[in-house]
Amino acid sequence: MPSALEHVAWETCLVDPQPDRALEAYARRKTGIPVRSIRYFTPVPWLARALIDLHPEYGLLMHLDQNIADLLTLIVSRENSCRFCYAAQRALLWGQGMSEAHIQRLEQELSAGLAPRTAAAIAFGRTQSRGGPATARNACEALRGAGFGEDEMKEIAFTVAATDFSNRAHTIPAIPARPLERMPDQFLPRLLRPIINRIIERHRSRGQSAPLKRAPSHPYARLIERYAGSPIASALGQTIEEMWASPHLTRRCKLLIFAVIARGLGCEACALEIRKAMGAEGLNEPTLACILTHLDAPELDEIERLLVRFARETIWFDPAALQRRARSLRDRLSVPQLIEVIGVTSLANGLCRMDAMVMGHS
Amino acid sequence: MTLTLAMGATIVFAAVLAAALYRQWQRGRNLRRQLQAAARDLEHLQNACARLAPAGVVQSLVADGIQPDAGPTAERKLATALFVDLVGFTAMSERLEPEILLRIINGYYQCVSEAIDEHRGHVGSFVGDGIVAYFGAIQPNPWQCDDAVHAALAIRASIRAYSAELAREGLPPIAVGIGIDRGPGLAGLLGSHARREYAFIGRSVNLAARLQALTRVHGVDILVSEALRTELDPGFILTPMPPVAVKGFVEPVVTYAVEGRSAHAEIAAGPRSPVRSSRDVFP
Repeated sequence: MPSALEHVAWETCLVDPQPDRALEAYARRKTGIPVRSIRYFTPVPWLARALIDLHPEYGLLMHLDQNIADLLTLIVSRENSCRFCYAAQRALLWGQGMSEAHIQRLEQELSAGLAPRTAAAIAFGRTQSRGGPATARNACEALRGAGFGEDEMKEIAFTVAATDFSNRAHTIPAIPARPLERMPDQFLPRLLRPIINRIIERHRSRGQSAPLKRAPSHPYARLIERYAGSPIASALGQTIEEMWASPHLTRRCKLLIFAVIARGLGCEACALEIRKAMGAEGLNEPTLACILTHLDAPELDEIERLLVRFARETIWFDPAALQRRARSLRDRLSVPQLIEVIGVTSLANGLCRMDAMVMGHS
Repeated sequence: MTLTLAMGATIVFAAVLAAALYRQWQRGRNLRRQLQAAARDLEHLQNACARLAPAGVVQSLVADGIQPDAGPTAERKLATALFVDLVGFTAMSERLEPEILLRIINGYYQCVSEAIDEHRGHVGSFVGDGIVAYFGAIQPNPWQCDDAVHAALAIRASIRAYSAELAREGLPPIAVGIGIDRGPGLAGLLGSHARREYAFIGRSVNLAARLQALTRVHGVDILVSEALRTELDPGFILTPMPPVAVKGFVEPVVTYAVEGRSAHAEIAAGPRSPVRSSRDVFP
């Protein structure tokens, strides 16, 4: 069963896997299956956890049909040419019992024969990934026209954003996709497929209403508040808090990465939040304007200068070209710094797209 | 006797059933193989088409299809157009054998295309020895002006290296002229019902072509317009050129030659872009 993305050029992996029993056990508890890819992210625990915690499969969605969410994950991964996530989602669908023929039909004629709601959700996911928030505005209206309620639309925005995040996190370091791509053709996985199916089914869960334990104070607080009552708010809030608290890059550097990505996507809502936070970091308006206009300013230190330029590469990308650019960072940064850059740029891409849709500034 | 007959019939029935099931399985397997082959062909076709149009556009066409009677699928965009042309190509084409000429021009296309790809532009079309490229026409790119000038500098460097390589082989060296302008226009699939191509049309494409021609008048290789200059990183070293009347434009056109990029943005020569507030940066 050849994957539709097998032709996509994919560099050799940028980082070495580093086992971490606690994180691997955490991932296995949550998904039911060993998640070997997590070893590539263990030097930065918040990222390793976020890749599990923000997966729309495990206890986050309360309103959106899980099958639509699964399809959205597949489509967005394809649009972003993420061989790893695409193969993982394909393997997940296969493991859940979907026939190879059905998966191939989905790949080849996605817009044909789908229910109008599913088609509208897929159109939104594709437009958001291909053109960003500005071009997704019409697709967003089409979602409303197809009968999606506000809560469902917010969950669609989250599913697309979480996939955008995961796609970049796996694409930038070129996490090997081949084992997952080959899985459905191998004897042992085929033999164990019913058991895999049962394990996946047992761990796949719908979200339960959960109050927001404490009001978020960081940038994107308003976005988190919009999800109040949903488990998405807690998962997202915790990921963002942990990301800011992580010591490998400065808060100012992370904010600059967010600002560049918000500028690249034309997300006004994000810009407002980031501008406020930047003030507290001692960056004045003209300096920020200069950085955002030319990706440079005398006030930037060496790492910031390097990373604001890299951040823009993650907005629209060809995987191999992005991976080559990321490789050039390897000599200038420590391994945890590099992985944190991957995490922050990936999260910023997801959050900015989500914010633009949910806060109505797309 | 009856029992033997019944057993025989059962065995025959089982054999026929097994044969039918086997044939069905074989048919299913063949169909799966055909489906996989068709999928591979489709991928190859998509890859081949990606050389003719931007990959995103090809993916949209494959995924959405295109209706033969559909109207134009272009949308308004603010993009930067870069026009490159080979200096003295006509004279060269009269002197050289077609095979040598083809080799030289393919190498030139390769140098230019790689530089444009590297700086996030995309090649719109090859018009003889001219190449039109766009920045920010497919996806929004607020850094499109800087990208286009970086691409032009990369083309200059790449063509110099290629030219030296040609000279070592006893072939004539080549040089290029580049014009760059930025402005609004229509981007998308344009053309007739039978044939379409991805393009960006607007005043800036025309001006970029005119600026490219003006490089011969001013004796420089890269010229940018006033509209582009105001958006540029002050780290680029620009030299103002005297205004020149240009066909199709009422006012004389003010241009700047791009000398290179200063190591220190603060001491960059040439006029500087005004520093704006972030309220202007986020429209």
